[in-house]
Amino acid sequence: MEAKSSRLTYIQTLFFVAALVLVGKAMHLQLLDPSFRKEADAVAIENYTKYPSRGMIYDRNGKLLVHNNPMYDLLVTYNQIDPDMDTTLFCRLLRIDRDYFIKALQKDWRSGRFSKSVPFVFLSKISAATFARFQEYLYRFPGFEIQLRNAREYPLPVAAHLLGYIREVNKNEVDGQPELYTPGDYIGANGLEYSYENELRGQKGFSIVLKDNLGRIVGPYRQGHQDSKAESGLDLLTSIDLPLQEYGEQLMRNKRGGIVAIDPKTGGILAFISTPTYDPNELTITNNTRGDSYGKLVQDPHKPLFNRAIMAQYPPGSLFKPILSLIAMQMGVLSPDRTIRCGGAYFSGGQRLTGCHGHPTCTSVSMAIQHSCNAYFVTVFRDVVDKYGFYKPQPGLDTLHAYLQKFGLGQKLGVDFPGEKSGNFPASSFFDKWYKEDKWNSVWIRSLGIGQGEALATNIQLANAAAAIANRGWYITPHFVAGYRNSNRKVDPKYTQKHLTGIDPVYFGPVVDGMAGAVNAGTARRASIPEIQVCGKTGTAENPHGEDHSIFFCFAPKENPRIAMAVYIENAGFGGTYATPIAGLMIEKFLKGEIRSDERKYLEKRMLEANLLHLK
Amino acid sequence: MLSRLGGTRNLDWTTLSVYLGMVILGWLMIYAVTASEVDKVGFLGSTAGKQAIWMGISFFALVVIYSIDWKFWQTFAFLIYGLTLLALFGVLVFGSNIKGATSWYTFGGASIQPSEFAKFGTALAVSAYLGSYKTSLKKYSHQIVSMLLIVLPAGVILLQPDMGSALVFSSFLIALYREGLSPIFFWIGGFIAASLIAGLVFAPTDIALVMLVFALGVIAYRMPQRRWWIGGVLALGAAAFYFRAEEMVHYSLAGLTAVFGLLGLYFWSRKGPRLVAPISLALAVGIGLSFAANYSFNHFLKPHQQDRINVWLNPSKCDPRGSLYNLMQSKMAISSGGFQGKGFLQGKMTKLSYVPEQSTDFIFCTIGEEQGFIGSFAIIVLFLTLVIRLTVIAERQRSAFSRIYAYCLAGIFFLHFFVNIGMTMGLVPIIGIPLPFISKGGSALLSFSIMIGVLLKLDRHRYNL
Repeated sequence: MEAKSSRLTYIQTLFFVAALVLVGKAMHLQLLDPSFRKEADAVAIENYTKYPSRGMIYDRNGKLLVHNNPMYDLLVTYNQIDPDMDTTLFCRLLRIDRDYFIKALQKDWRSGRFSKSVPFVFLSKISAATFARFQEYLYRFPGFEIQLRNAREYPLPVAAHLLGYIREVNKNEVDGQPELYTPGDYIGANGLEYSYENELRGQKGFSIVLKDNLGRIVGPYRQGHQDSKAESGLDLLTSIDLPLQEYGEQLMRNKRGGIVAIDPKTGGILAFISTPTYDPNELTITNNTRGDSYGKLVQDPHKPLFNRAIMAQYPPGSLFKPILSLIAMQMGVLSPDRTIRCGGAYFSGGQRLTGCHGHPTCTSVSMAIQHSCNAYFVTVFRDVVDKYGFYKPQPGLDTLHAYLQKFGLGQKLGVDFPGEKSGNFPASSFFDKWYKEDKWNSVWIRSLGIGQGEALATNIQLANAAAAIANRGWYITPHFVAGYRNSNRKVDPKYTQKHLTGIDPVYFGPVVDGMAGAVNAGTARRASIPEIQVCGKTGTAENPHGEDHSIFFCFAPKENPRIAMAVYIENAGFGGTYATPIAGLMIEKFLKGEIRSDERKYLEKRMLEANLLHLK
Repeated sequence: MLSRLGGTRNLDWTTLSVYLGMVILGWLMIYAVTASEVDKVGFLGSTAGKQAIWMGISFFALVVIYSIDWKFWQTFAFLIYGLTLLALFGVLVFGSNIKGATSWYTFGGASIQPSEFAKFGTALAVSAYLGSYKTSLKKYSHQIVSMLLIVLPAGVILLQPDMGSALVFSSFLIALYREGLSPIFFWIGGFIAASLIAGLVFAPTDIALVMLVFALGVIAYRMPQRRWWIGGVLALGAAAFYFRAEEMVHYSLAGLTAVFGLLGLYFWSRKGPRLVAPISLALAVGIGLSFAANYSFNHFLKPHQQDRINVWLNPSKCDPRGSLYNLMQSKMAISSGGFQGKGFLQGKMTKLSYVPEQSTDFIFCTIGEEQGFIGSFAIIVLFLTLVIRLTVIAERQRSAFSRIYAYCLAGIFFLHFFVNIGMTMGLVPIIGIPLPFISKGGSALLSFSIMIGVLLKLDRHRYNL
């Protein structure tokens, strides 16, 4: 039994030591360590989220596009509410009714989402004015407290599509990134707010405070050592030219369409317009009638929420002709001084296949572009496709396809903006599938040669193509970001990298001359501006649903271009009628700062007043 | 009444009064936490009311046990064990899922947690098996059987999953130790546990350095002219620690390993493998385990599981709003009681439900807050009295069954009380097990009462053998 009794001693020692450890720890907590008992009255520690201010967005000259507007959330801790509080006064101060008061406090306590001892949002988006009145009485309502949030405010009612808006996060977003978002947080939902959510968001901070049994804050927990500061989001500098954006939106009032203007040297987007548009302040999160506004915008038959600058896809029509010329010359199937006769249409085998309009015989590429001859370009297109033989159209078409991709057509460009569409230009595989057993040929698909048929492009792709021509052979992916204020964060290198089109610079001469001719004495005369040579090309996008869309792309000045743009106006008919003058006015405004001559002012007035919304 | 049941001769009044005292104290604490319910749902509908009903059932069980023949428990030990095991399997199929664990049978308004009764069943089975004169803990086969008796219910409980209750079964090791299980098992177990925990707290490379230096020291101690050898090892260790930053630690480790290899071989060749072999083995196992623990912590554990461990071992790495929140609130509540406490029904933190699970696993917070250090101290002393008394009772038994049974109980109560109180103060990880007699919960109270009742009955008949 000797061994056994020693084991008994060990066991009893273990029990004694364990109890001693517990007593020691209790003594430490209850008698010695003051950090857990900062104040005798403190009964709780609580966490507060400190919301960062969201980054602001500036235009290229440092003018504000979006800034923050303070507003408040009212939080409540259920088990600290005074049952005898003056609810009538409370509701009146906050302008809520009794039903809301009762409903907002009835939470599903069993669900685990809410706790009676943890603050939750009672009422959100309280304006600064309401808050000021309520704050004086806050002390009479234990359990309630105020938290500062930031909403968005727009100094000018422009650039709604471009900027996008913020909204509360949804469940998927919270579940996807629980470390970033908690229910009730805001997130960029569209436009630049969406693209640059990560930069603009900033970082939440936290503070832990001690509270007494009435929910009053006694002091910071552990002198605030565990608190973290909120870090503001980065301020986004964009390439947008605010005056140009505003002017373009005015010109486009009462018209459906889109405009994209690009600085060809940098690829920075100067203006990004989609109309009909709306006042971004309508959808800002503090607007209490936001839901109604949104509903109205959704139901509007003109689809103001549809971003025509980047999401509308339409056949590029005659805008395709300068690009086709460049590719054909590079492929060696077209010489700049080639003459092709036009008898008012394109004929093949004695049949009148593609109509044309009256113009002098085109004796060169530039002349054909100036007069936009259909017969000329159907012929050129067929020469491109038939380069390897009439019965072997595939390699010819695919070569064309490959060059078009180098112009950024038929694929997404990679703009820093959500919702980009890819457009379309079919390759040979498409026709192989479409015609199945039949052997297709260049005649069948000739309408591609004048930008019709299966060809589709977005406004931004056409603006980018204009920039590529302006640069005589290269472009930088169009983008909005120009930098970040007071930050060493760099812009994504893909927005400084040149993309080459693979076209020899010598071929741009005749094409640019042709586009200049179109403005000086061709289809695009109404885009001409005194003293500045604009180069452009009109087009008419056939629209199966109604009147043709009016389209135009251009750049200016001819030498050392500073702006390239594409304009598209729905159901406005021939491109020369509205798209060209609007482009001309915007270029003049951008390059000269104002519209000078009376003649031009008259044109401006007519454009401002034109209402095309009734057209179908 | 007691006289009709056979009188109170040889009844252990100490145990009985500690038991009754704690049950009543526990009920008062539960009432303190949930007093506000009484106004709303009436006394019998409130938590305290339900607990009172369970107290009645438990006292009735005590009376029944007092009147049953004392041999009953040894005779039917394995049957009871089997039934509790069956109930454990059954609950996996028929049980209801509350807070993520399938641990309860629900009948009407009451729920029964079979794992609580499994502790009693296992205590009986272990006592009956070890108490048999045929059993010897010196034999491997008997060691394995007794381990199986314990591991089986614990394993089934892990399937619920209920880590806390399963962990309680490790307390039977105390009884096994008393009955002669070699202490080497405890040394090995302790070494393994220490290596694993160290791997979670420190960089495994540092642990390896320390272990290597220590092993070298042991060999150096056995060398002739040990003074020089130990001095050399210490210098080497200091050098290794000096060069442990960044990439250098790998060279330090390689160097120390090489020195250990050379010295070990030299020592082996002179004195044989008796010292070098086990040291090398321990070194390999210890370093391996600490690396394994560190690696699996970082690569296999999910963030919430990492949090559980971090709350205990690395609180600075935890989010005070998240995983650390419960523990901080719990510590705050205890701490805010100070020396005297805020007084009965005056605990604000616990009353305002700042502390999670405050009537069950975190009931100690209420004691700490309302009764202060005096209350905490008293509860700890009461528990210490109980477990020490149980060992004393155990040693005066003539029957091996009764002795082992008393040790099983001492182990169970000790583990419950140390882990539960320790976790509310952040000494041990947060493991959900109740504070015996005090925490709310009918199954636990009834099961613990039965355990005490059977012990009192066995003890009363200690001279009958």
